[in-house]
Amino acid sequence: MRIVTMDPASCVACRNCEYACAFQQGRTFERRDSHIRVNFYPEERLCIPGTCLHCEEPWCREVCPAAAIRRDPVTGAVVIDADRCAGCKMCLLACPYGAIRFDPQARVARKCDLCGGDPQCVKFCISGALEFVEAEEAFAFRREGFDARLKELLSQARGGRR
Amino acid sequence: MRAVIIGNSAAALAAAESFRLLDRSSELTLLSVEPGPAYSRVLLPYYLRGLLPRERMFIRDLADYQALGVQTRFGCAVTRVDDRQRTLTVGGSTLTWDRLLVATGARPVLPRVPDLEGPGLHTLWTLKDADGLLPELLPGRRAVFIGSGFVALQAAWAASARGLRVTVLEALPRVLPKVLDESGSAMLEAAMRAHGVEVRCAVGIERVERPEAAGAAPLRVVLSCEDPSLDADLLVVGAGVRPDLAFLAGTAVRYEAGGIPVDERMSTGVPGIYAAGDAALGPSVFGEAHAAQALWPTAVEQGKVAGANMAGGARIYPGSLTMNVAEMFGLTVASMGRFLEGGDPAEEAVVEQDPRAGRYVKVLYREGVPLGAVVLGDPEDLAVLAALRPRIRAGRPARLEPARPFRGLHRTLALQGSRR
Repeated sequence: MRIVTMDPASCVACRNCEYACAFQQGRTFERRDSHIRVNFYPEERLCIPGTCLHCEEPWCREVCPAAAIRRDPVTGAVVIDADRCAGCKMCLLACPYGAIRFDPQARVARKCDLCGGDPQCVKFCISGALEFVEAEEAFAFRREGFDARLKELLSQARGGRR
Repeated sequence: MRAVIIGNSAAALAAAESFRLLDRSSELTLLSVEPGPAYSRVLLPYYLRGLLPRERMFIRDLADYQALGVQTRFGCAVTRVDDRQRTLTVGGSTLTWDRLLVATGARPVLPRVPDLEGPGLHTLWTLKDADGLLPELLPGRRAVFIGSGFVALQAAWAASARGLRVTVLEALPRVLPKVLDESGSAMLEAAMRAHGVEVRCAVGIERVERPEAAGAAPLRVVLSCEDPSLDADLLVVGAGVRPDLAFLAGTAVRYEAGGIPVDERMSTGVPGIYAAGDAALGPSVFGEAHAAQALWPTAVEQGKVAGANMAGGARIYPGSLTMNVAEMFGLTVASMGRFLEGGDPAEEAVVEQDPRAGRYVKVLYREGVPLGAVVLGDPEDLAVLAALRPRIRAGRPARLEPARPFRGLHRTLALQGSRR
C-alpha cells in the first residue's frame, strides 16, 4: 500500500497541505477541519507535519468499541465509518501520533482516509516534504537518508583521520 | 488441537482474532451466555441517549465468526470445567478442549442495602438491561442512581437528557472517584448540577421502601443520618462489577472475588487454561502483579496476548495501563494511569486549567517520568493523553504540554512550543 511520508527537513510550514485537506474533507479552509497538521516550534526553528501513518497494527482500530475503524480493502487506508462511530473518543486516546481528531458538529472521530487514494495534501505540497509512496519504498528512502546522515556524522567524528 | 473461548466481548473477540493469526487450522469454539453475536457494552449509554439505534450496538455478525473460522454456541452457560479430563459442561452437553480461555467478563454488584431488589430496580451492563431500562426513561419520572462510576453517570446523563428528574448518590466524598481527581470531580459535579441533576456525595443508604399509600411514589430510598428520604420511580445501580466464576469450582484454577490471577502470558498457572478481560487480574504497567480494571482497552490487550499464547505463541503482556474516556453532561472526561498525588515528595503534578472555558489538564510526574493524567473539557486536550501513553509505558522522563487554544497562524508563531 501507499502512505503519505513526511520529511520535516523539507517542510517550510506553508500549511498548503492543511488547507487542501480541510477543503477536501470539510469543504472549508478552517485548519480544524484538516486531518494533517503542521506543528511549528519557533525556538528550535522546526516545523513538523503530522498525519496518520496507517499503522500495520492500528491500535485505534483494535481499541474501537464500536468496530467503526477498518482498513479500506482498496487503498489500504485505516478509515473511520462515521455511521458506526459513537463519538466515544477512545481512538483519540489510543493514537500515539495524535492523528485522530473529534468533529464536535457531527460528534464523531475523523482521520485521514488518503482521500480514497489521491491525497490532496501531497498534491498541494510545495516543498516536496510530503510524498505518496509505497510503504516499502518509504523504508528504503528512510534508510538511505539515515545512512547519508550517519556517514556525515562519522566523517565529522573522525576529523581529518581517514 | 481444540481451543475453546468462553465469552464473546472485547477479550474473547481479540483472543479469537489473535489466535487465528498464528493458527489457521485448529478447531476454535466460542461459547457465550449472550443470545447472539457480540455487541459493545461501551455503546449502551449512546443507545439510551438515542444517539445510536439498537442495531448499531452489534460489533460482529455471524459472517464475521464464519470468516474467522470460529464455531459459535450462543445463549448457553458453561456450568462446569474439568481441568484433569480437559472437558467442560455447556447446556447439558460435554465439550473437550486442549486450550481454554476464560473471558466471561463481569456482572454488576448490588450494594448490601435491605430490600434493594424487585420491580423498578435496574442495572446497566447487558443489552437486555438497556432494553429494560429504555422504556422506563419517561419525562417527569424520578430516577435515583446508586453509585457514580462511568456507567452510572452516563446513564444518568441519558435520563436527564430524556427529561427525568435525576439524583445521583455516591458513598464516597466525590463523584467518579476512580477516574478523576478532586478538582476534576468538582468540575463534573458542577456540570451535573448545571444540567439539573441532584448530586449527593458521602451518603449511605439505609434501606429501600415500597410505600403502599395511594399517590405515594413506588419507591423510597431511605438515607442514613439526617438526610431526607428520596422518592423514586426507578433505581439504577452502578456500583461496580465483579466476575462470576462459580463454574470453575472444583478445578485447580485459583480465583478470588476480583477475578483470576494470571501471569504476563495470561496463563492461570493451570496448564492449558488462560484468562483475560474483566475475569482476569493481570500485571499492570506500574509493576502490580494482579490488577483489577474492568476496562475495554485492557480486555482487548489481554485477549490478544492470551489468544496468541493459546496458539503456541510466546507473547508477553507489558502490563495494563488504565485508560478512560467518555462524554457526560457536556464535558469530555478522561484519565490515564496514576493521577493522584500520593504524598511522595518526588511526585510533581503539573496542572493547567481554564475554568471559564471549562478546561482542565493535569499530568502527574515522578522524577520527571509521567505516571498519568486527567483531562476534562476539551476533546483536543485528549492528545496529551495519547502522547502520554507510550511515555508512561517506557518509564522515561518526558515533559508534556497541554494543547492551547489556537486562533490563526500568527497566534501559533507567538506561542512557544505549541503542539497544535
